[in-house]
Amino acid sequence: MSASSTSSGGGGGTSGATSTTTSGPCGACKFLRRKCVTGCIFAPYFDSDQGASHFAAVHKVFGASNVSKLLLHIPVHKRLDAVVTICYEAQARIRDPVYGCVAHIFALQQQVANLQAEMSYLQAHLATLELPSPAPPAPPQHLLLSMTDLPSSIAATFDLSTLFDPLVQPPNPWAFQQRHMDLQQFGGGGRNPLAENISSAEGGGDLQALARELLQRQRSAGTTEPSPLSQPPSSPQP
Amino acid sequence: MSNPKRCAACKSLRRRCSKDCVLAPYFPSNDPQRFAYVHRIFGASNISRMLMQIPVDQRAEAADSMSFEAKSRVKDPVYGCVAVIGQLYQQISAVQRELAKTQGQLAIYTAQQEQQMVSTQGYYGEPSWLGGVNAIQPNTFHFNQQSLMDLLRLRDNI
Repeated sequence: MSASSTSSGGGGGTSGATSTTTSGPCGACKFLRRKCVTGCIFAPYFDSDQGASHFAAVHKVFGASNVSKLLLHIPVHKRLDAVVTICYEAQARIRDPVYGCVAHIFALQQQVANLQAEMSYLQAHLATLELPSPAPPAPPQHLLLSMTDLPSSIAATFDLSTLFDPLVQPPNPWAFQQRHMDLQQFGGGGRNPLAENISSAEGGGDLQALARELLQRQRSAGTTEPSPLSQPPSSPQP
Repeated sequence: MSNPKRCAACKSLRRRCSKDCVLAPYFPSNDPQRFAYVHRIFGASNISRMLMQIPVDQRAEAADSMSFEAKSRVKDPVYGCVAVIGQLYQQISAVQRELAKTQGQLAIYTAQQEQQMVSTQGYYGEPSWLGGVNAIQPNTFHFNQQSLMDLLRLRDNI
């Protein structure tokens, strides 16, 4: 997906914006087999080369009209990030029709739990040696109990391309069954899903390449301001 | 024969809810908001199609995960549930830092204990951290002088 230049070709002088881009239809319009007009909302994000395949996934999962409506309600400088995350979710859902990108969340949550268990063990060990143990880390916030205050803090420091690192493969699927990962803590549905099938890492490389390609092309085209999420992650907190 | 009590999906779509409605088990009428999110982000036909492609015993989890994604996207149109992933990565980094700090402290303590043993007991063997042939083999740690220096630098930086 590139921030392709959308210089208008010839075309009438009506306000209906009927002219097409000089570089041909964007990937979305190519896939939909429709005329790509100037001001096409998908054109900056789906180039005519690989954009069509990316858009195919988005259209299959979300539908072009739904995505178009979604993007229209998002400020222009945020749309690139929105497209990247939408593409990621669509690709994840195609790879794993049952859990989609939620499998990634489960895997990361498991990783957090393992690390915290190790931390607790070490702190207990330190306590037996009568050493002052470091202040325990802040108790883990139950993610998305308050979904409203997440996005801005994440956006300021997080590099989107790192989101597409290969998924962590859980060592023991049965551990998930016992863990009762309750989506309710995320403000989601009312059941307790058992995440038995965690997507493997095989799709991670493609998604990582997708995000980096989007961000890189957007920067090189220079048509929009660099997204906050295109910055590398901030230095670790003290 | 239609279900007299329509599911949230059929109620929203203003259609009859049949006995074999695909969406009914996962979008009960007492939670219309759940279907509203899903309808807005995925669309009713996409949801129905995706659920029908999944084995029946996995459809509940699929509906839950789609509901979660849809609700996340409605609350945060730019990042959706990817924001959660970002927060998890940050949490993992924070815990890993704390873990490294704690492991460093434990290693330094063990090294100091060994050094104390040598100095107070007049032990003629070499401490293990010198890595010599007569090295004391600690129960838990064995490191050479370089690694001890690294640990001391780590301690100073903590």
